[in-house]
Amino acid sequence: MIADTKQIQTANIHAPKANRAMLPLQKIKSALANTFVLAMVLVMLLPVFYMIMMSFRTGAEIAADPLAIPKSLYFGNYAYTFENMGYWRSVANSVGITLTVTLLVSFLGSLAAYPLARRTGRYSRFFIMLVALAMAMPGFVNITPIYVMFREIGLLDTYLGIIIVFTAMNLPLAVFFFTGFISGIPKELEEAARLDNCGNWKVYWYIIRPLLGPAAATLSLFVMLMVWNDFLYPLLLLTDKDKFTVMIEVYRFVGNRNIEPDMLFPAAVLGSLPLLILFVIFQKRILAGVTAGAVK
Amino acid sequence: MKNKNSIYLFTIPALIVMVVFFLYPIFLSIQMSFTDFKGVGVANDVGFKNYERIFSRDRYFDALGVSFSFSFIVVTVQNLLGLFFAAVLYRLPAIRNFSRAALFTPSMMSFVVVGYVWQFIYSPFNGGLNAILSTLGLEMLQRPWLNDPSTALFAITAAHIWMFTGYSCAIFLAGFANISKDIQEAGRLDGASSWQRFRFLELPLLAPSITINIVLATIGTLKTFELPFIMTGGGPAGATRTLSLEIMNNLFGQYKFGFASSLSIVMSVVIVTVVFFMNRFLRARENNV
Repeated sequence: MIADTKQIQTANIHAPKANRAMLPLQKIKSALANTFVLAMVLVMLLPVFYMIMMSFRTGAEIAADPLAIPKSLYFGNYAYTFENMGYWRSVANSVGITLTVTLLVSFLGSLAAYPLARRTGRYSRFFIMLVALAMAMPGFVNITPIYVMFREIGLLDTYLGIIIVFTAMNLPLAVFFFTGFISGIPKELEEAARLDNCGNWKVYWYIIRPLLGPAAATLSLFVMLMVWNDFLYPLLLLTDKDKFTVMIEVYRFVGNRNIEPDMLFPAAVLGSLPLLILFVIFQKRILAGVTAGAVK
Repeated sequence: MKNKNSIYLFTIPALIVMVVFFLYPIFLSIQMSFTDFKGVGVANDVGFKNYERIFSRDRYFDALGVSFSFSFIVVTVQNLLGLFFAAVLYRLPAIRNFSRAALFTPSMMSFVVVGYVWQFIYSPFNGGLNAILSTLGLEMLQRPWLNDPSTALFAITAAHIWMFTGYSCAIFLAGFANISKDIQEAGRLDGASSWQRFRFLELPLLAPSITINIVLATIGTLKTFELPFIMTGGGPAGATRTLSLEIMNNLFGQYKFGFASSLSIVMSVVIVTVVFFMNRFLRARENNV
């Protein structure tokens, strides 16, 4: 993971430099190319600008002129949305579920990964195969049985149920992720502790666990992205409005009626905003995580 | 140490979670697929009846066809676009990092938000797309995009492509970053043009990124139901009804748990098979280029 990020950064430095003693003509060409491509990138972002712009206009204004830029910022849509959508409640639910799932997945995942990274016996190979299988299997196979199982044991419409589902869904990735990370930790770090007669648990807790920070941080961003945006399981498992995650709240709020732009756009902005802020702050880590996870 | 293998005890909690919430549900699903279970009451054994139904009706082949078309369009266009942006941005270091993050932004949004926003963009009356067309004087192209069976699927794939182009681009850019600068330098000294370097140096060296991008996009699209679910509900006339949406409808519209199980097993077998062969083909290709 970390090595990959470094590679990307150093490679960025070595990439062709456009401004190495150029002729004026080349300079103009390069400026034109930069402007042109930047314009294309911004065109790709138009729907995001559109969403934000529309959220500050009244329904009548949008109907009269669908594309106009708002003359003044109209906050009425947001006032209405805050009043009628259980926004803060759903944010609190999403954040709480995310934190719990992240903690569980990091702990269970790294605990299992420690022996898998240090031993390569038949059991390790079997376990890693199981993990790979779980990652490759489309989640769809499990919807029906999980719904039935949860109904039998009373986990439908509970925080515990949704936390268990998300933990189970993210655990294979976590095991995979931590196994790679722990393999990169030199064994010598453990040896002194082993000589002091520390057991496996002490070595894990006092030597390995404190080093897992960077991997756990990247993983937690993955989990957050998933818990925040996933739609299938909360939709099926939660029926009590007080337990809705953000996206289910947005779905219910917008979808319960004919789509009204003055409710749709503020709800869309509010639903996306926390993750977009997070992305602005952690974009390096998120992008490095996405590409490193994929290139593996 | 007491026992050499006691360290394996650390895997037990994760093993339990995976057995109970992954292996056991698969087993239950297979079992349910041979019954007429309706969610409540008794599940009667019906043998292969559910599977016979799937393979004897056009409806499910049509849905599978929609899933495949969706997947094919998205995988092709999204990766070509992502590759294009990556190749161009690789040559423009000044705007590379900003553009990579900007293009990636839609991937941070939820299907719910993207679905609703694009549904409104396509809306026939005050939506953005028809308004743009009329501003450009292209009124004859205006149409109710999501209500027209000939455009609905393309409209939804466009939203999906928009969402994940930045994701493909980020993976391709990481691939570009792994190309050694010596090779690039050699290409330039030989007088290779920018296009020649892309075509004959970079493209072959990007083979692993191409594999991972195609496989990820295929897995993500073959099972898709979110955008059709939100934007069209599978309509008009089944034009956007993917196999996963069909499963959702059977399950929570009609409570046909048994039948939905058999559909999801068929779908999983299809996806795993497609991805397996695709992966093998692409990996073999990596070694040849």
